[in-house]
Amino acid sequence: MSGAADKGIGAPLPRKEDYRFLTGQGRYLDDVAVPGALHAHFVRSPHAHARIVGIDVAAARKAPGVVAVVTGRELAEWTTPLRMAPPIEGLQPVEMATLPTDKVRFVGDPVACIVARDRYLAEDAAELVEVAYEPLTPVPDVARALAPGAPLVDETLASNLVSHQAFTAGDPARRFAEAAAVVEASFHQHRQTHAPIETRGCCAVWDAGRAHLTLHIGSQVPHPLRTTLARRLRLAESQVTVISPDIGGGFGQKIALYREELTVAALARALKRPVRWREDRGENLLAASHAREDSARTRVAVDRDGRILALELEIVEDFGAYCFYPANYLARVVAMILTGPYRVSDYAFSVKVALTNKCGNGPMRAPMAITSWIMEGTIEAIARRLGLDPVEVRRTNMLRASELPYAMPTGEVLEDVTPRETLEHALAAFDLAGFRARQREDRARGIHRGLGICCVVESTTYGSAFYKAAGIAGSGHEAGWVKIEPSGAVNASVGLMASGQGYETAFAQVVGDVLSVDPGAVRIHLGNTDTAPYGMGSRGARGGTAGGSVLFLAAQALRDKVLAIAAALLGLNSSGELRLAEAKVQRRLGGEWTETGLSLADIAHVAYLDPLRLPQGMEPGLEAHKAYDPPPMTYSNATHLCEAVVDVRTGGVRLARYLVVEDCGTVLNQQIVTGQQHGAIAMGIGGVLLEEVVYDEDGQNRSGSFADYLLATAVEIPPIEVISRHTPNRRTPTGSKGMAEGGVMGAIGAVMSAVNDALAPFGVVAERQPLTPPYIRSLLRGKV
Amino acid sequence: MSESVPIVLRVNGEEHRLLVEPRRLLSDVLREDCGLTGTHVGCEHGVCGACTVLFDGRPARSCLLYAVQAQGHEVTTIEAVAAEGRLSAVQQALHEAHGLQCGFCTPGIVITMEAWLAENPNPSEAEIREALSGNLCRCTGYHNIVAAIAKAAARRAGSAA
Repeated sequence: MSGAADKGIGAPLPRKEDYRFLTGQGRYLDDVAVPGALHAHFVRSPHAHARIVGIDVAAARKAPGVVAVVTGRELAEWTTPLRMAPPIEGLQPVEMATLPTDKVRFVGDPVACIVARDRYLAEDAAELVEVAYEPLTPVPDVARALAPGAPLVDETLASNLVSHQAFTAGDPARRFAEAAAVVEASFHQHRQTHAPIETRGCCAVWDAGRAHLTLHIGSQVPHPLRTTLARRLRLAESQVTVISPDIGGGFGQKIALYREELTVAALARALKRPVRWREDRGENLLAASHAREDSARTRVAVDRDGRILALELEIVEDFGAYCFYPANYLARVVAMILTGPYRVSDYAFSVKVALTNKCGNGPMRAPMAITSWIMEGTIEAIARRLGLDPVEVRRTNMLRASELPYAMPTGEVLEDVTPRETLEHALAAFDLAGFRARQREDRARGIHRGLGICCVVESTTYGSAFYKAAGIAGSGHEAGWVKIEPSGAVNASVGLMASGQGYETAFAQVVGDVLSVDPGAVRIHLGNTDTAPYGMGSRGARGGTAGGSVLFLAAQALRDKVLAIAAALLGLNSSGELRLAEAKVQRRLGGEWTETGLSLADIAHVAYLDPLRLPQGMEPGLEAHKAYDPPPMTYSNATHLCEAVVDVRTGGVRLARYLVVEDCGTVLNQQIVTGQQHGAIAMGIGGVLLEEVVYDEDGQNRSGSFADYLLATAVEIPPIEVISRHTPNRRTPTGSKGMAEGGVMGAIGAVMSAVNDALAPFGVVAERQPLTPPYIRSLLRGKV
Repeated sequence: MSESVPIVLRVNGEEHRLLVEPRRLLSDVLREDCGLTGTHVGCEHGVCGACTVLFDGRPARSCLLYAVQAQGHEVTTIEAVAAEGRLSAVQQALHEAHGLQCGFCTPGIVITMEAWLAENPNPSEAEIREALSGNLCRCTGYHNIVAAIAKAAARRAGSAA
């Protein structure tokens, strides 16, 4: 890679987007001024489960400043319902109205929308909407959802079991019969929510003259959102533009088209006036999207040395009341990749997903977050049972480099990963022996330290083939374009949308690297569906690999054209001995690179403004459009080590040290990658120790503010040591693998493992999250 | 709805003559009436710290104040930091250390920590973490923010010496 090598792929460049954010000049949704915009506010259900008997909006309509009050009845005329019925075995088809007219299904379910001159007046008027409810028996958890005769959350279904899949590879029953021991373990992960610091919101502008809708919305996936929005408004996709301004955090919450957003768009069209909406924090916590809450049980057959002969997984997810995604989407991936870095051939799983009267689930940074905890916790259960060192049990079962590529029992192929190397490197960096000595001494003094280990194999970039194999609707491709303008300036675009990942910098490095221009001179355009190519957007950990690769390929195509033009201008038959360096064309003469006197700007000028000098048959202009479908799956891997100190008198947990060794392939910008790792680990730690969506027996949500739903602060999150041991993926254009969710997986597993190591002398095992002081005390009661 | 009242707000050294309802939050008036959208609203209940401004030179949550309460006081927002185009010590260090990702919490952190460093020029890491604990960041895990504040403190000390 020539030219701007110190700023090209891999350079830890400070970000281009920082200046505007640091100086208060970011442009988030609420900063987009739209003259004359009205403000929407939603009336929400106070019941977990209730029949809607009637909604009286007459008084609200007369309230000061109110322009409109609508319910599900109007929305049913203006919009189509969301039908979620991909052809997946064991998945029940469901349908969701834009606003419910028959019954509400969770606390926070929207039933009416007020549109007023300002938000204060809209909220005033909401108080005047009279909704008559007939309460129904709530379904507050999975156990009651799946009990015989349970009330139905969705009355079109035969039961609350909305999805069930089972799978068997090999002959687990036979292995269990042969086993020296059968070990069982269980895992309960609680309900959480994304809690981006910027809540959801949107602003819809209907241009009646052009019959065109523009929706300003912080969306991770502008094009797929446009497709859904157009369909549900019965508009052509050419009649809708989605523009995503800067996003104040997404974490998976800003993917689906939510009912509120569709309502606002429909209202703008019906009223022929711009309408905007910003939810408050309470609404975000209660009614945006929830995540996780799954219970898993493993059974594992082992020989005397702790070698795994067979593994069984049962997992049940509490999906909440509505399906914005196919209900199998999240838990299924856990089952597909559970075995991770370990050698397992005989495997069976059962994945059940139940509907309950809670806010609907969606993907949250690491939708498969629980995976590594389940697998590592199972390994540790084996070690406890057989009296073996858990590190040794890992080594016994972990794949070696010589065994790769390795087909997991589900058929997923693991290749170009280094689990063994990151484990050994992490243990050496941590000084395991030194820790064990400290742990022994401290235990004698009543200080209970534990070391947690979590080996992570992170599914990062999902290609179309994985979606197909996993029975999930969707494509894994991404699209991009690169243009060199007549002046030589470089513009590029991709279908992804950033919410903090630094794409404007990392992708400028990729394009700049190939075209040998300074990344400062490459402008990345994101988020506008009229400008950006149709891509699948930002989700999972696909940005670097899907987005970086497509721009890499587009820039290469453009570089080839530039050099072909240069060859013609220089009177050469081929461009084979030409290259770009610092935005100039160089020629190899006698083994030496020498200047030709042609610059990128000269070539651009000819391409656009003097096209008769182009090679015969070449199109004028300098632009390249590409689409790229990644391999079925790319995997990154990491080993997380965490030292925790448990105060056995209070149940408090303090994290004393956190270290991760990671291999995520070629990185585009190491500083950004390290920052993503920090953020993911912090989300995992906060999730294990503090965050919890709490529903009571009546289905009331008890965590509707940041005083109840606790996000970790700088005090709870320890310093995080990140050690890079990257090895390239041989199937992706740049060698990248993707990353940014594995940190959550690793932190969940490592913190649980550390606390259980600390608790080992008491003969207890924590199997539930969050690790609150009362929970830990409940385990230790009578033992301390 | 209550009657609007005329107020004079002094923000970043400039006077704004406004007609506001007494119930309107300072954060809303700064953003909507003064056009200063760098002050962000993340929770409207005083926990997240994104809306932090200086109120007579001290950090305050603009979502917990009514605009009418700010009459006769000096309000400073993020727009006044680096007004000449030169980043402050905290801003520059956050940029170098990658102490921001989505950027939504960043203005509140810059305002809070610039004011805090002025009174605590030689902080320990633990003190920085404690001082930062009133500002929630969902992206960074705080590691790089803490490093940036330490760097800014060292630089400020260096330039003062």
